[in-house]
Amino acid sequence: MIALAPQAVLTAGTLGALSLGLMRRPSALGLRVLAVSSIVAAMLSVATGSVHELSSVIVMNDPKSLGWHYVICLGALPLAFFLDGSDDVMTALFLGATLGMSLLCVAANLPMLFISLEFMSLPAYLLVARSRPGSRSLEAAIKYFFAGGVAGALFMLGLALYYADTRSLAFSGSLSALGQGGAALMAAAALFKLGAFPLHWWLPDVYEAAAPEVSGFLSTAMKSAAVLFLMRLCEMAPTASVADFLPGVGALTAVVGSVMALRQERLQRLLAYSSIAHAGFLLLGVGAWARAGRSGEGASALLFYLGVYALMSNGTFGFIKHAGAQTRAQLKGLGVSMPAAAAALTALLVSLAGIPPTGGFFAKLLIFWRAVDAGLLGPAALAATAALISMGYYLGMIKDMWFEEPSGPAPVASEGLGVVIACAAAAVLLGAAPWLLAQAMEVGIK
Amino acid sequence: MSMTLTGLWVLPLFGCLVCSVLGRLWPGSVKRAAMAFSLLSLGAVVLAIGSSWSGGAFTTLNEVGPRWAYGISYRLSADSLSLALVGLTVFLNLICMIASWELEVSPGYWACFLALTAALTGVFLARDLFFFYVFWEATLVPMFFIIGLWGSSGRRHAALKFFIFTFAGSVFMLLALLVLVSSHHAATGAWTWDLAELDAKTLGPLARLVFWGLVLGFAVKIPMVPFHTWLPDAHTEAPAAGSVMLAGVMLKMGVYGLLRIALPLFPEISWEALPILGGLAAFSTVYGALCAMAQTDLKRLIAYSSIAHLGFCLLGVLSRTSQGLSGGALQLVNHGLTTGALFLMVGFMYERVHKRGLADFGDLASRAPTLAFFFGFSTLASIGLPGLNGFVGEFMALSGAMAALPVLAIVGSVGVLLSAAYALPAFQAVFWAPAGPGSVSEKMSDLHLREKAILWTMCGLMAWIGLAPKPWLAWFEPAIRGLVR
Repeated sequence: MIALAPQAVLTAGTLGALSLGLMRRPSALGLRVLAVSSIVAAMLSVATGSVHELSSVIVMNDPKSLGWHYVICLGALPLAFFLDGSDDVMTALFLGATLGMSLLCVAANLPMLFISLEFMSLPAYLLVARSRPGSRSLEAAIKYFFAGGVAGALFMLGLALYYADTRSLAFSGSLSALGQGGAALMAAAALFKLGAFPLHWWLPDVYEAAAPEVSGFLSTAMKSAAVLFLMRLCEMAPTASVADFLPGVGALTAVVGSVMALRQERLQRLLAYSSIAHAGFLLLGVGAWARAGRSGEGASALLFYLGVYALMSNGTFGFIKHAGAQTRAQLKGLGVSMPAAAAALTALLVSLAGIPPTGGFFAKLLIFWRAVDAGLLGPAALAATAALISMGYYLGMIKDMWFEEPSGPAPVASEGLGVVIACAAAAVLLGAAPWLLAQAMEVGIK
Repeated sequence: MSMTLTGLWVLPLFGCLVCSVLGRLWPGSVKRAAMAFSLLSLGAVVLAIGSSWSGGAFTTLNEVGPRWAYGISYRLSADSLSLALVGLTVFLNLICMIASWELEVSPGYWACFLALTAALTGVFLARDLFFFYVFWEATLVPMFFIIGLWGSSGRRHAALKFFIFTFAGSVFMLLALLVLVSSHHAATGAWTWDLAELDAKTLGPLARLVFWGLVLGFAVKIPMVPFHTWLPDAHTEAPAAGSVMLAGVMLKMGVYGLLRIALPLFPEISWEALPILGGLAAFSTVYGALCAMAQTDLKRLIAYSSIAHLGFCLLGVLSRTSQGLSGGALQLVNHGLTTGALFLMVGFMYERVHKRGLADFGDLASRAPTLAFFFGFSTLASIGLPGLNGFVGEFMALSGAMAALPVLAIVGSVGVLLSAAYALPAFQAVFWAPAGPGSVSEKMSDLHLREKAILWTMCGLMAWIGLAPKPWLAWFEPAIRGLVR
């Protein structure tokens, strides 16, 4: 079972959190240590090379599984630090969702993909519902649940059509019209999870209503899993024509997300639309990867993007948690009242915008490069336009913080500054030395 | 001497980091540290120029670093054109530091100028297109803060506009570079970003698209009409020293990009594009001058005049004649000196009375005779009075254009005439005309020693280039020789 060490660690963590919850007064410190150590142990078990390659009908470990483990754990780690251990169910749900993503990494056939998809989604609905007191988060969770339900139903219907055509639950080299339709429906489920236009409508409400650190988790770990989910579909049905539409859908998603984010006043909603825009760039990358023969280069470009985005998005959502700023108006004057946090957010925003020399620049560069190399000039130009539009709000927020006078009482800072600064520093460092992430993941940008 | 070139951009960057740290610990010492690093940077450039001079001629300095994944390699090279522009950068940076010495600004101000100097130096030295692009974009961030934090009333809007406009050009430039690199890989099987190894012939039918993508990036930066609309706002709202760096160095990046990348890679296509690009350049000279005539704000007037002056540079460069190219390259330095001096003087005036409208002054020559002298001197240099630097550059650029496409030179000559028509009346209104009712001239004091020293240096250089242009033209000759058609 050593091949499934990360999953074993995360299972143990989930069960551990539930067991701690059985105690009369669960130890908050114990829960915090458990959350962080489970994620770190899952990461290390991949890093130490103890996970060997595995290939069976149900589960498999290939380079992508290992690489995606890293970015998923990287996306989950900040939330592990943010959970204060007062609620054992939150810790269990968080580790359970991560376990679901981890299972998705190793899923080798379509039913297994579906099971792991649901496994990661169900705890996520509850995470959103529980993350904040009040009815708004509950409403958002129900919305999220329905969207997830639609996605699941689409997937099952697609799987049925696919099976009817190919008599296979995994790889199939050729598809008839029936199988094409099935593959398209399954891909739609992935686009739902990813928040791609026009299946993105649920995402801003959910990300806005959930606690910011939970939104950070959803926008990074969950999106990484959704990207892999889509890639697995493309691998199993390489002739599916739905892959040809991915670059266009991606570029369009990037434009829609960027345009919508321009007018947002509430920070979490703005970042939600920004995450839609980033999902668009990722989709463009998946499309380029599929078109260029599913090469390792395309996959490592996506992996790099996800790794950097895990830092950037968690860092910005963590800033909202730390600074307590809800709206863009509250950002005004933060450069004076909280210089360290504002400087960290500035670095994160510069990276999100893709301005060199930051990790976000390299991430966008690699995606554009793969797209251009695959001959996708039109979608690449459209996505570049989206990157340009996104300057309006990323720089706008920097402007709010540094160039404007405070317009009201300064928000009160709470804990979490360390996470924000760590994310910002890592995002900038990856710009100066982009090979660090690649080497750490042993995937290597060849 | 391989470390010299890396040192040229690392030194100011290190200075920027030192200033950032000092700003936390001893805010009072930051400007001294910044000045020290600016002086060191200038010294390093002088050293580099000295080491490139051997046997009565310039040799190109090269520095080849490691090659990373995807053909990204660290290669710097300094020929006479690069060295001239790097020299201009560190010189103007030092001037800005001296001019801002008495300003009450936060430590970040000094750090931003050093960061800007580092990035600009990198742009002029990099020969690997990847690093070129990284430096190119990195210049935007410090300038964004310089305009946004220390500019005048409209600074917030101007900073955003500046960033987004120039980024719009460069993002398509990046796509063009990616197409170039990918096509090269597809044709030869080798990844490279090295300017010397890339060959536009591998592009096939995409060559035109790539050329125009690159030109778009450069044209926004130059700026060429109709991509100029960011410039008046950015130059007007930036602090005086920021305007000096913007007009003095950052505008040169666009022309430099054409000279270094677009023309050598696409000699044929760029020649075919001469009627369009040259036409826009000639139009810029007239349009910029006409806009300048209509301005009532002194800084905005100089900003529009920059559009016209860069049009002359472009005309010379695009003509691809030996005269035109030398004149265009020389005009890059000239414009940095004259417009830099003019912006500084408007800054000095603004520091004293917080006004810069033409109607806010009058009869200033009697209140501030030294200022009037330097302003008049720089204005004459700027409009191309024979004997001063502007004349040499503009004359050579126009005569080059005459040889290539006469109609361009004729339109450009109208631009020369018009430059006198906006600059001299502006000078007259501020310095000689009787003071109007709202005039603040009586509150003005004349320049003090620090300011005089700066202007003596700059005007001295203008006169030197104007009176003895030969060594300066000879300086540029080796760098542009390969571009002559």
